[in-house]
Amino acid sequence: MSVVRGGIEDVRQVARGWRWGRRPQVPRSAEPFVPPSESTVFGTDWARRRSGRVAREVAQKAGLEPVFRSQVRTRVEGLDVLERVEGPVVFVANHASHLDTPLVLLSLPDEWRRRTAVAAAADYFFDTWWRAVGSALLFNTFPIERRSGSMSDTPGDVLADGWSLLIFPEGTRSSDGWVGRFRMGAAYLACEHRVPVVPVAHRGTFAAMPRGQGWPSPGRRQLTIRFGEPLVPGPDETPRSLAPRIRDAVAGLLDEDASTWWEARRRAASGTTPDPAGPEVAPWRRVWEQTASPAPDPGRSQITAWRR
Amino acid sequence: MSRPGFVLEVDDRTPPLVVHEGQGFRLEEFPHGTRVVYPPESLPTVPDVEQAIRDALLSPVDSEPLPELLFPGMRLTIAFDDLSLPLPTMRPPDIRQRVIEQVLTMAAEAGVDDVELVAATALHRRMTPAELKHVVGERVFRSFHPQGALYNFDAEDRDNLVHLGTTEKGEDVEISKRAAESDLLVYVNVNLVAMDGGHKSVGIGLASYNSLRHHHNPQTMVRSHSFMDHRASHLHHSAWRMGRLIREHVKVFQIETTLDNEVFPAPYDFLMKREWEWSWRDQGTMLGARRGLAVAPRRLRHKLFHDMRAPYGLTGINAGEVEAVHDRTIATVHRQQLVEVEGQSDVLVMGVPYLGPYNVGSTMNPILATCMGLGYYFNSYRGAPVVRRGGAVILYHPLDEGFHQLHHPSYVDFYEEVLAESTDPTVIGEKYERQFATDPWYIHLYRTSHAYHGVHPFYMWYWAAHAMDHVDDVIWVGANRRAASRLGFRAASTLADALEMASDTVGSSPSITYLHNPPHLLADVRA
Repeated sequence: MSVVRGGIEDVRQVARGWRWGRRPQVPRSAEPFVPPSESTVFGTDWARRRSGRVAREVAQKAGLEPVFRSQVRTRVEGLDVLERVEGPVVFVANHASHLDTPLVLLSLPDEWRRRTAVAAAADYFFDTWWRAVGSALLFNTFPIERRSGSMSDTPGDVLADGWSLLIFPEGTRSSDGWVGRFRMGAAYLACEHRVPVVPVAHRGTFAAMPRGQGWPSPGRRQLTIRFGEPLVPGPDETPRSLAPRIRDAVAGLLDEDASTWWEARRRAASGTTPDPAGPEVAPWRRVWEQTASPAPDPGRSQITAWRR
Repeated sequence: MSRPGFVLEVDDRTPPLVVHEGQGFRLEEFPHGTRVVYPPESLPTVPDVEQAIRDALLSPVDSEPLPELLFPGMRLTIAFDDLSLPLPTMRPPDIRQRVIEQVLTMAAEAGVDDVELVAATALHRRMTPAELKHVVGERVFRSFHPQGALYNFDAEDRDNLVHLGTTEKGEDVEISKRAAESDLLVYVNVNLVAMDGGHKSVGIGLASYNSLRHHHNPQTMVRSHSFMDHRASHLHHSAWRMGRLIREHVKVFQIETTLDNEVFPAPYDFLMKREWEWSWRDQGTMLGARRGLAVAPRRLRHKLFHDMRAPYGLTGINAGEVEAVHDRTIATVHRQQLVEVEGQSDVLVMGVPYLGPYNVGSTMNPILATCMGLGYYFNSYRGAPVVRRGGAVILYHPLDEGFHQLHHPSYVDFYEEVLAESTDPTVIGEKYERQFATDPWYIHLYRTSHAYHGVHPFYMWYWAAHAMDHVDDVIWVGANRRAASRLGFRAASTLADALEMASDTVGSSPSITYLHNPPHLLADVRA
């Protein structure tokens, strides 16, 4: 009996220690010694073929969207910019949560949503076949290397095929909800392929589902998303000069979302747009500020009868 | 590309870690903040072993090429490390076989007739013919063993020992007569850890008790900081003095080999991996191994472990003058095993595995477990001990394997009679060492059977003298309480209990360092 009991205890200890069913973790002090992951390329072309598109349409409309809308409230602004631009484009957004991708995709008009692919970290979303298949099917993701520093061919190929891209240039979700450093990848692609960049800013996803949380917080938190004027790279523009313009545009949109278009414009004109990286205060204060959801839509009546 | 060793700090993301304990292992959940020293991964091995050996023999360091030292009519003796190296025993072909075969090929081409091969066993047990065959290979064994030209060194054969003189410190140098009177003595070593090799090879491997007693004693051992650094070890200083005297009498051509860290063969190779990198297969194998060992009878468990053959690879080979060769060898060993550790800690944790140098095919009795833990693993440092003076050591081993009657007869008496009276190395050394060393029955067993010399258990105890002098508390986790008590230590059921017991010495929130060993590591401690 003790042998059986010992076996059960062993299995429990291993299941707990190695986080069965969850993503394995590396001790913090061992992180510098993790070998670079071998780039296992899971092809995602199938996800952009007709059968893949049909399957995704069903998955998004019948599965993802109802669940998403049941968990969060959204307010979408600025979609009119898409009427003034022809695809493909590169959507560039700040990144604070796993909610960002569905928020952006489900905010897009259907014809844009169906033609948008999402750049996803190769080492995170493509490390196992089931994660790769799941994310490619549901979100039309393709792998992008965020560690090597070199750009793979895949994003350019997808763009060349006429697909718009959604890129989070921070490369990872923010740890405190504020905007991090923008990498050059999106600007590089826009310059290389001469496509417009549509800046996108959203707020509230960190408050609703920050890093480490697997499901949105209860209470249908408010999310807001705002699409900005497309940035068209000039004929001689380099990624190095375009990248700060993209970041400024996102910063302006965040400011606009938190105040008004007019106030944001005036601050932009005077060069006093708040830094999206947030104030240099104690870490807890930075997190504290971001844990507050944006104010709910004022024009919308709140149904409170069934709420606590 | 092999990754360097490093010091892990246990946090909430750290899975349970493997701790060896005799013929088994456990998964231990260490307190957060515990430092765990991981050895470097295996270095790249030499691409062509045969060519590397040939190159070393033809282009030696500070010596003429081996073929130039060989001539017809000469007396050639080839000595080699015994089965205490490497650990575990190497998967065939053993590296010594491959080296000796090339040396003999050159000797045959030079027309050398008088060749003898000696296993440098010193006071270790005689190797069996099968063990000799494993080390030197079938060709060499068949060519020399039936003629009596391949044999174990006998440190009690007075007729075949020669006293070469005394060092400037008055140390007797008495070694094998055949080796000392040869025109050339070729020594083939396996430099598994930094304390092996150099002048220790001939000066200790082919020496008698009369010579060994000068450095294998508590006073020398306590002052050796540590055995893994021959420049700071009094034991090695003595061996070096003796080696330089030997060099005046016989030409020694030293061949030193270094190995990588491939200690465990598949499917036990998960024991060499960093736990958080275990695959599903590794986790499954580990669970299977744990359950299998839990239900396996003791004999089967013993067989499972002792039949393991390590898939070691050759990382380097150097030949020529002893000291020049050894400097290069040590550099390679350091590359393979050295890990920088910042500062000492209050508690040092070590898991004592199933195998040490003196229980190959045998049992790890409580004295050998002490030697392994407090002798070798404790001394796996350079600079300063991993644990501070007055700290505590926590060891894992059941101490329940008993004594091998054939291999360790004098250990039984040492355990039952000597340790019952005192565990102080100096006291027991002064009172009993000579009696055990000269006991005719032990000498008879050493010479004719496969017993370690009568004085050997004393040496094991002396190896631990530095640790016993340095720390205030030694606690064995999962150990037989009576055995631990006889050794002068305490036993605890769990790590938490051991830390609780050690709190009198090191307080209730001590800093802890765990040496994740094996595979072999050497902590380079910056105190």
